[in-house]
Amino acid sequence: MTAKKKILLIDDDRDFLMATKIILESGGYEVFLAEDGKSGVEMVKSVSPDLTITDMMMETWGEGFTVVSKIRSIEAGKDMPLIMLSGVDLQGPYQSFEPSEESPRVDLVLNKPVKADDLLKHVKRLLG
Amino acid sequence: MAVNTDKGLILIIDDEESIRDGCKQALEKSGHVVLTAENGKEGIRIARESKPEIAFVDLKMPSMSGMEIIDFLSRDIPDIVSIVITGYASIVSAVESMKKGAYDYLPKPFTPDQLRAVVKRAFEHRNLKMETRMLRDEKEQMEKNFITFVSHEMRSPLLVIEQYLEALRAVAGRCLDKDANDIIERCNKRIQGLKALVEHWLDISHIESGIFEPEKNPVDIPGIITRSVEEIAPLYHIRELTIETDVSDDIPEVTGDGESLMRVLTNIMGNAAKYTPSGGKVSIRAGHDEYYVSISISDTGMGIPKEKLPFIFEPFYSVKREGEEQKGSGLGLNFCRKIMEAHGGKIEVSSQVGKGTTFVLKFPK
Repeated sequence: MTAKKKILLIDDDRDFLMATKIILESGGYEVFLAEDGKSGVEMVKSVSPDLTITDMMMETWGEGFTVVSKIRSIEAGKDMPLIMLSGVDLQGPYQSFEPSEESPRVDLVLNKPVKADDLLKHVKRLLG
Repeated sequence: MAVNTDKGLILIIDDEESIRDGCKQALEKSGHVVLTAENGKEGIRIARESKPEIAFVDLKMPSMSGMEIIDFLSRDIPDIVSIVITGYASIVSAVESMKKGAYDYLPKPFTPDQLRAVVKRAFEHRNLKMETRMLRDEKEQMEKNFITFVSHEMRSPLLVIEQYLEALRAVAGRCLDKDANDIIERCNKRIQGLKALVEHWLDISHIESGIFEPEKNPVDIPGIITRSVEEIAPLYHIRELTIETDVSDDIPEVTGDGESLMRVLTNIMGNAAKYTPSGGKVSIRAGHDEYYVSISISDTGMGIPKEKLPFIFEPFYSVKREGEEQKGSGLGLNFCRKIMEAHGGKIEVSSQVGKGTTFVLKFPK
């Protein structure tokens, strides 16, 4: 029996974390939660997840890309697959975000809310 | 709230030396700082440099007239209060200059007490004016903050509910019977409706508060029509409607925001689909004349009664129709009109009950 793959989920909305955790667990993954970017980065170090899903905009500790940069700068996060979820405030015609050349590597960007099937499909693919 | 940023700086523009000196002395006695100028040109230079709060301007001066000076001051120096000094003979022109933006006038000859009384009133007036402006700015800022707040506070819980429903489906979907799954589906539908309402409300609030400024890019009309038709095609397929487009090839580009114009088009095309029985047809034509580039969207639907037509662009006005399954957000057409107005254009409607409705979007050339 192989150990469950570990997924780290970073978002500042606890309910969103819970809902997404349920979806991921239904796919057979072990899920770790972080409510802000700082503890998310700490958990990358302590848990060494196989994949991380993080919110694009978080109020508490800089925006999501800062978090991704920090994650990419540590050994455990350097090559880990990473999904970014675009937050509510990014939808609509008034705000748009275009990752630039200098942005840290993100493997996939998905819009919130995420369809359960989509999420599980992408996670499975990224975990190869 | 008391606003008092006044330096008590007063400028006297008068070609009579005795008036300048007299005013200066009287006002300095009551603690004001007084600058003087003997003609308009010099007065304007000093006003620009020192930004006085109050300016006394003699109406009758050689070279530049008092009227011209006042006109200039009220346009160029923010919040300045101008007062006209005038002889009895020119009371009429004093009144005229008040129409041009002077706050008060002081007839010659005047006593130091009269002068000080006018100054006191002028400062009170100025404070009130600035207070009003500050309150207005504050109100605008509050409105903007409110929109941002609501945007976050309304969308976040909706999003979380959707995500929970997804979670529910993921863990229990297969175990639940059809009725339970139907309930989840109904919840989802109502959430989508509420989301659309929030989005429309936000769009409109953004426009009204001036946060939204349409981009000013060249918009390729045939291009946005094609894209809108593609976007709406699945809905038309389900409703068994045909779309016909007739776009003349020499259509000039209009300046504006392609994305929001596409939303205007899909909004109206969506309405057309909603109110046209299956088998019907929706025609989209684009053309131009001397004044306007126009896009018309005509359906063969049930039409809108004449007495209701003037109100359909109002928020939350809904034309009650038989057998209507899903009500819209009530803000769609209001949004369309606002977007068209933001483009300097307009939206027009004509309709015949039982035959169909035509919306025309007009962009000035």
